Amino acid sequence: MLSELLQGIESGGFLIIRDSCSYSGRDLLKSFITAALNREEVIHILCFDVSEEELKDGLKPSDTKRLHIHNAYSDPLGWTGHPNFTVQQFSLEDLTNLVKQTSQPKPAVLVIDSLSWILRHKTPPAVCQTLQQLRKGGAVRAVIGLLHTDMHQRGTVGSICHLATSLISVAPGVKGKEAVARVTKRSKSGKVMQDEEIFCITEDFSVTILSKPSHAEHKTNSTEEEQADPTANLTFNLRLSDSELEAKQKLTLPFVFSKEKKTALLHPGPGSGRILYEPDANDDYDQEDPDDDLD
Amino acid sequence: MAAPVNSVGKTSADRLQANCTSFQKKTRSKLISIPGTRPSVQNGQLLVSTGVTSLDYLLGGGLAVGTVLLIEEDRFDSYSRMILKYFLAEGVVCRHELFVATAQDNPDEILQELPAPILDDVAAPKPVEQPRLTGEPQDTLDAMKIAWRYQNLPKVQSALASSSRFGHYYDVSKTMEAEIRQAAKCHRFYLPDHITPSSAAHRVESYSALLKSLQEVIHREGFDLATPMSKSRNILRVGLHSLGSALWGDDLCCHDKPRHSHALTTFLYGLRALLRSSLSVAVVTLPSHLIQDRALMGNITRLCDNAIALESFKGSERETNPLYKDYHGLLYVRQVPHLNSLARQLPDHKDLAFKLKRKQFTIEEGMQIVSFIPLTTIMMMTVVSVNSEGIHSNVLPLQDLMAAYISEKMLCRGSDLLALPVFVPARMAELSGLWGWGGDFEMGPGTDTKVVTGTGDEFQKLYRKKKKKRYGLTSAEQHNRQKHVSVSSTSTKVCLITF
Repeated sequence: MLSELLQGIESGGFLIIRDSCSYSGRDLLKSFITAALNREEVIHILCFDVSEEELKDGLKPSDTKRLHIHNAYSDPLGWTGHPNFTVQQFSLEDLTNLVKQTSQPKPAVLVIDSLSWILRHKTPPAVCQTLQQLRKGGAVRAVIGLLHTDMHQRGTVGSICHLATSLISVAPGVKGKEAVARVTKRSKSGKVMQDEEIFCITEDFSVTILSKPSHAEHKTNSTEEEQADPTANLTFNLRLSDSELEAKQKLTLPFVFSKEKKTALLHPGPGSGRILYEPDANDDYDQEDPDDDLD
Repeated sequence: MAAPVNSVGKTSADRLQANCTSFQKKTRSKLISIPGTRPSVQNGQLLVSTGVTSLDYLLGGGLAVGTVLLIEEDRFDSYSRMILKYFLAEGVVCRHELFVATAQDNPDEILQELPAPILDDVAAPKPVEQPRLTGEPQDTLDAMKIAWRYQNLPKVQSALASSSRFGHYYDVSKTMEAEIRQAAKCHRFYLPDHITPSSAAHRVESYSALLKSLQEVIHREGFDLATPMSKSRNILRVGLHSLGSALWGDDLCCHDKPRHSHALTTFLYGLRALLRSSLSVAVVTLPSHLIQDRALMGNITRLCDNAIALESFKGSERETNPLYKDYHGLLYVRQVPHLNSLARQLPDHKDLAFKLKRKQFTIEEGMQIVSFIPLTTIMMMTVVSVNSEGIHSNVLPLQDLMAAYISEKMLCRGSDLLALPVFVPARMAELSGLWGWGGDFEMGPGTDTKVVTGTGDEFQKLYRKKKKKRYGLTSAEQHNRQKHVSVSSTSTKVCLITF
């Protein structure tokens, strides 16, 4: 599923890459950026965590026309007189203006590196509302964000991830350069798909998916063993040999009707049987209170 | 058939509790009857259907008018949203009015996803699932060679349902047609239309805006009980989606110690007051898996009348557990109200699992999961085992105790046990924690575990007093089942654990 996500995020989608200090998700983020650039999409990056040069390192220089990096690394809180992009500008109107300034016909993909930085300076409900409005509004086609899960409380991480349509949690793998990605994808119809894959990122930021982790195979073995055969280990024989099975099929049963009569009996007209009761002279049948005569 | 199949073997005390019956209360009252409602058999409250017949059964026949149902969402909000849609669809079919409030998606999106009602009399049964009445193997998919007359009957119901039909069935694969939907009057509240979010909000204003809007709708459309009875009355169904999430401006789900912890609870208090004084019912969904403060969650549960929690298996390790392979998740009934009465009607079954099929959302009694207490914590203790007459005590050595645990004899339902003489008083706290586990596999909400200590003589006295009350347990005591022990007077300190 990771490769499907790399090939494109649906419009109105919100992808979050969750990482921790044991494995950084920035490489995966860069591979998403590379894949989007290869698809001729316009990308706007809000750069809080690392400098612009570090982010551009490794990306192909020919694509810089469609790549717009907004440097919020040098002065995010506006301490100098002329900041490039401050964290206070993370709101619907400012971002929409920012994206529209480049005057491209196609709606852009917004990449946020990282959401954790914004969450430290703005309240989580405000950030959630802005993200939701960005998704619904037309200026941005999709949003990709990087979130460091060990920097926030569980509730905050949960609230932000609750909004996401796709979620990738990365963790270090067993061998050197490998990593494990757990992907959760929520489709519009409410279906949820989950997957776990081992991947590794090459020099030019393309992702090679290696294999599924081994414990998935182990689980299928154990479920097969549990399906015990109830006809085994009995003192009498419950199984049928082939000839016995044949003889049983051939047996004609009484009350076997032809197919027409069966269907005629199976689909009766409206109303099942009724009870027709005509009370005798002796019967004390009072519709109102059947126990009237019991006194 | 007045009682469902699974309650046939119970004692009469249990059968009194079974709240599923085909009897309908005969009302000769002068109240105008409102379509889509019926009076409850137990206490005469006016009930509406939630849209899911199994859920109606769990809640005691239906949702009482004037109450709130709280649904704690599952992790991905798929099944709670489904139940909300069932509730609204039932309102459309019964011609009630709807009020939908959301902060995340537009209310119109939810309304467009309402499932289509199956308007035949009964849900058409699939001929594939037939009981094998004669033991013949099924050769073809639908033909039964001997019992073909029973081919088209529905399978024997293992799902909980009342045999009298109150709600409707819905087909999840189709959405409700636009004509049916537009015939129903629907009021919408979409939070971004009403409030411009500001990052430095001192108070959470979304809830008060919602409450004002709801109050205005109730007053304007005449759902107030204060308006004169001459007009024909209708019910207002209120659906509030994902209340308490960050999109409502509330940091309940974001922080461990939320700043505005009272915003949601005051809203629920006001909502319930509003509902009690009008002909309306509310269903509120809440992402409780994000709320870290359990005390707050307890408050919220108490402020709503009915509360259920959904836990879906998707993404958890239970998905591959063979016990659960037929189900989509677990359902917990957290609270059932006692309206105008002293006792609550708790459902009989505690382990409930749900399954969303195409034509039905079924809730069934799931498998009983037994959790094993680690044997290593039982040190230096012997067990007094008593049979139900409580004649005398046998002291079992430790090995036999372990064997008994392993064979589950002492821990299964209906066994009459347990007293542990404790030699080390400092272990008391551990013990009570340990036996708190005992609640896990027998009882549900409403039980408590008491640890009582004393000498053998004191227990004799206690037992004699309680023996008089022992028979004829009330329904409250059925849930606080007390195991009584008679101990011949010994001088050792005995610890009696009742649960």
